[in-house]
Amino acid sequence: MKRSLRSWLWRVPLEREVDEEIDLHVEMRVRELVERGMDPQRAGDQVLSRIGDVERLKRTCVYIGRKRDRRMRLTQWLDECRQDVTFALRQMRTAPGFAAVAVLTLALGIGANSAMFALADATLLRPLPVAGADRFVMVWERRDGVPRGQVNPADFLDWAERNRTFDAMAAFLTSSAAVAGADGMAQAIPAQAVTPRFFDAVGVEPVAGRTFVEDDTQIGTVVVLSEGLWRQRFGGDPTVVGGSIRLDGAPFTVVGVVPADVRLDAAATGADRPALWRLMSLSPERGPAQRYAHYLRVVGRLRPGVTHEAAQADVSAIAASIARETPATNAGHDAGIEPLARWAIGSELRLTALLLLGVTGFVLLTCCANVANLLLARTTARARELAVRSSLGAGRRRIARQLLTESLVLAGGGGLLGAVVGWGLLQAAPAVVPAGLLPPAVTLGFDARVLAFCVASVLVVAVAFGLAPVWQATGASPAQAMSQGGRTATGHAWRLRHVLAGLEVAAAVLLLCGGGLLLRTLLALESVDPGSRSSELLTMQISAPMQWTPEARNRFYQDIALEVAASPGVGDLAWGSALPLDGLWYGQAFHIEDGQTRDPVDRDGVGYQIVSPSYFDLLGIPILRGRGFTDLDTSEAPQVCLVNEAFVRRYLESREPLGLRLSVNAMAQPPMAVVREIVGVVAQVKERPEQVDDEPHVYVPHAQNTWWLATLVVAPEEGPAAALVPGVRAAVARVDPDRPVTRVRTLDAISREATARPRFRAVLVGAFAALGLLLAMVGVFGVMAYSVQQRTREFGIRIALGATTRQVLALVLGGAARVIAVGAAIGLLGGAVSGRAIAAFLFEVEPLDPLTFTVVPALLLLTAGLATLVPALRAASADPAVTLRGE
Amino acid sequence: MPAKSPKTLLHGTLDALILKTLAAGPRHGYAIATFIERTTDEAVIVEEGSLYPALYRMEKKGWVEAEWGTSELGRRAKLYRLTRSGRAQLAAETAIWQRFTAGVSKILLAR
Repeated sequence: MKRSLRSWLWRVPLEREVDEEIDLHVEMRVRELVERGMDPQRAGDQVLSRIGDVERLKRTCVYIGRKRDRRMRLTQWLDECRQDVTFALRQMRTAPGFAAVAVLTLALGIGANSAMFALADATLLRPLPVAGADRFVMVWERRDGVPRGQVNPADFLDWAERNRTFDAMAAFLTSSAAVAGADGMAQAIPAQAVTPRFFDAVGVEPVAGRTFVEDDTQIGTVVVLSEGLWRQRFGGDPTVVGGSIRLDGAPFTVVGVVPADVRLDAAATGADRPALWRLMSLSPERGPAQRYAHYLRVVGRLRPGVTHEAAQADVSAIAASIARETPATNAGHDAGIEPLARWAIGSELRLTALLLLGVTGFVLLTCCANVANLLLARTTARARELAVRSSLGAGRRRIARQLLTESLVLAGGGGLLGAVVGWGLLQAAPAVVPAGLLPPAVTLGFDARVLAFCVASVLVVAVAFGLAPVWQATGASPAQAMSQGGRTATGHAWRLRHVLAGLEVAAAVLLLCGGGLLLRTLLALESVDPGSRSSELLTMQISAPMQWTPEARNRFYQDIALEVAASPGVGDLAWGSALPLDGLWYGQAFHIEDGQTRDPVDRDGVGYQIVSPSYFDLLGIPILRGRGFTDLDTSEAPQVCLVNEAFVRRYLESREPLGLRLSVNAMAQPPMAVVREIVGVVAQVKERPEQVDDEPHVYVPHAQNTWWLATLVVAPEEGPAAALVPGVRAAVARVDPDRPVTRVRTLDAISREATARPRFRAVLVGAFAALGLLLAMVGVFGVMAYSVQQRTREFGIRIALGATTRQVLALVLGGAARVIAVGAAIGLLGGAVSGRAIAAFLFEVEPLDPLTFTVVPALLLLTAGLATLVPALRAASADPAVTLRGE
Repeated sequence: MPAKSPKTLLHGTLDALILKTLAAGPRHGYAIATFIERTTDEAVIVEEGSLYPALYRMEKKGWVEAEWGTSELGRRAKLYRLTRSGRAQLAAETAIWQRFTAGVSKILLAR
């Protein structure tokens, strides 16, 4: 340290150093020889010949000297760093309160940001982290207004055969398979039914055995397991591959095991990861019957080097030629591709990730501003120390470096703790994030990328809040700072602190506006009237084997109804196919039978619900006209249906609904049209809380269209509905232990689930807004308290000269009011802009919601009043005798 | 003076001699050379072509440090002084030298 200091103080250019040193040496050697009596001329020659090439010697020395200097600079730099860090730590120890507040503030900001970065990273930055991810695409049917239409089997076969841009194309659909569970009751495993080339299309190789081949379709009863299922259920037993397992009560041959892969997850729908894959049977026929039912999703792998544009042009051309060949079914149908990653993530999740990242970004900014403010106050208090350093020869750069090192140490501490906070948030995330918001393709984890983000934030944050004190400290001359005795802040630091406090207020107001809008959305969604009774009801899905006849299914459902009704505690029960606010329902094509012949294409889609007679009564959905269903509406009886209010409004206008006849496709494989008479009109039910336009629906009797999947609704005689679960499950198992019971939820849980995503957003943004407000008020309080402390003497004089308490109060509050007003104005402006940006998340709330934009400033005023009151009162109570003597 | 002197120093020994010389106090390069030559009765001749590169190298290694002082001639001179790590190096070199000479003596001076 001493050495390096000297080398800086006595800095001489290296060439001159070497020259002087060697020349002196030669001179002294010559002098010695001359003193011994040698002739000066000869002495000089002898010395030079002894040395040899003097220039070469100097060059060698300069060369080594240069390396020496580089090394010394590095050691000096490291020395100074160590010195600065030690000093910074000592500074922190002398003011532990300040250090703790600063580090905790930063830890909160960085922690929240790192967790949100993990979400943004998984959804926005690298949604499909595999090589060549852009080669995997979904292929949709596109028709007017439907960008992602499901595909009919014949179109899929045509696309797969005729395309020139795909290596492989496959169709798949979501299903489930019943496997005997450990408790003896059947358990439903999420599954997919796929065409043979599915695994080629998503690029997944087996870890054991093989995937499907074309010849497998001859047998049909083959299955591929996921590695997770294979390990969990079969202990990773290699003999399972090639062996036989029972699915839905029938034997299937396991041909292979595939690893967990994000591409498989990306192709999955909903929140469930498929764990086994079966083959679907597709008729090779390509008649009109195969082009009516659109129920397949199609995924494909592009050939290497094929652009999305080329693939899009290819499938569009194929769709156009199919439309020319079979206009009756395909007129106006186009095909479109979409990157698999984009399909997997979905726009709502992308937007949510952006929203949360933006919100936590603002919180981090507020944290930085707060710490900067704290540091500014400390730097002002340390003005004398810094001036001493400066007058002892420390340059501005050196002092700046020391202050930045202190910031970096603070930020480093904050970052370290922040990483822990972020890790904790990500650990807790699965329990907090609503199911279904994150598709299986998105996994949140604290990995090296998140850690790198933490490090980067530490650096950025340290510079962001570290520059303020540097600017302040290096702006004033040492003489000025010392003469003021570290009492008075320099003018620009003074202004800077007010600007920072104003910015914090602006950020808090902006966050509050966003939080307010989202909260209002949540309240609006929760107060939506679903149109049904929300009493204690238990619901669950029960499936009959797909291959059973409608009669067999009907008997199966009847047996279950009898068994469940006999269970203790069970009151009424009903069958349905959809539930209010659940967001899922079947759709079918229909037309009104009015004697006109019509084009098969000219049919509208309508919601299609299959319900038992007691359904309307149990769920409290009023029958407005005509009658509901009775036990007499059996499959042999005349085919009847009910329609809802939206149906009447949209399709029947002034016509009398009762007695009209509809031709509507029934749920069947393949779908077949059934002519039904309208016997009643039911009240409107909300399928989703955020639904704006009422959906037209047709209700048909359970007995007249028994499908393989049905929803059982059970009311308890008394008490909570959830208590019925074990009894009802046992009753179903008594009828058939191979049939799994899935999606067991109460009706209340369904309506809570329906608003889970908006609630998640509102709670998260609201919490961050509250945090932002708290930080901003701490900032405002800090600035006011400090300014009052600095001006105590002035206030003392004013009071001594006759100023009233009120006048001093006005003086202090006036300063605070300006900061808050300017900050609030900027924040409200930002809030108005961001309100528009999150318009997609709002429901029945305008982006410029008057209530939000009045409550937020009012809330701010209230909290700001609290934050400034204490400093203001202290100013007003300044005792002139004390304050004037205090100097 | 011939390029290859019979008094050519064994590799590494020059460093040790310089360190030992500086242990007595700071000196400039010329003084180091004359001190070694006089003390060894000119059995060891320190050539400038070896001395100065050695000094710069040792400065780089942190064994010695330099400062500008004044020479006997009243001129600015670069004075070298031993650092703490230089002192440690001297101790190590001395130990090596002792082992080496003891070993060589056992053969050369054997009766």
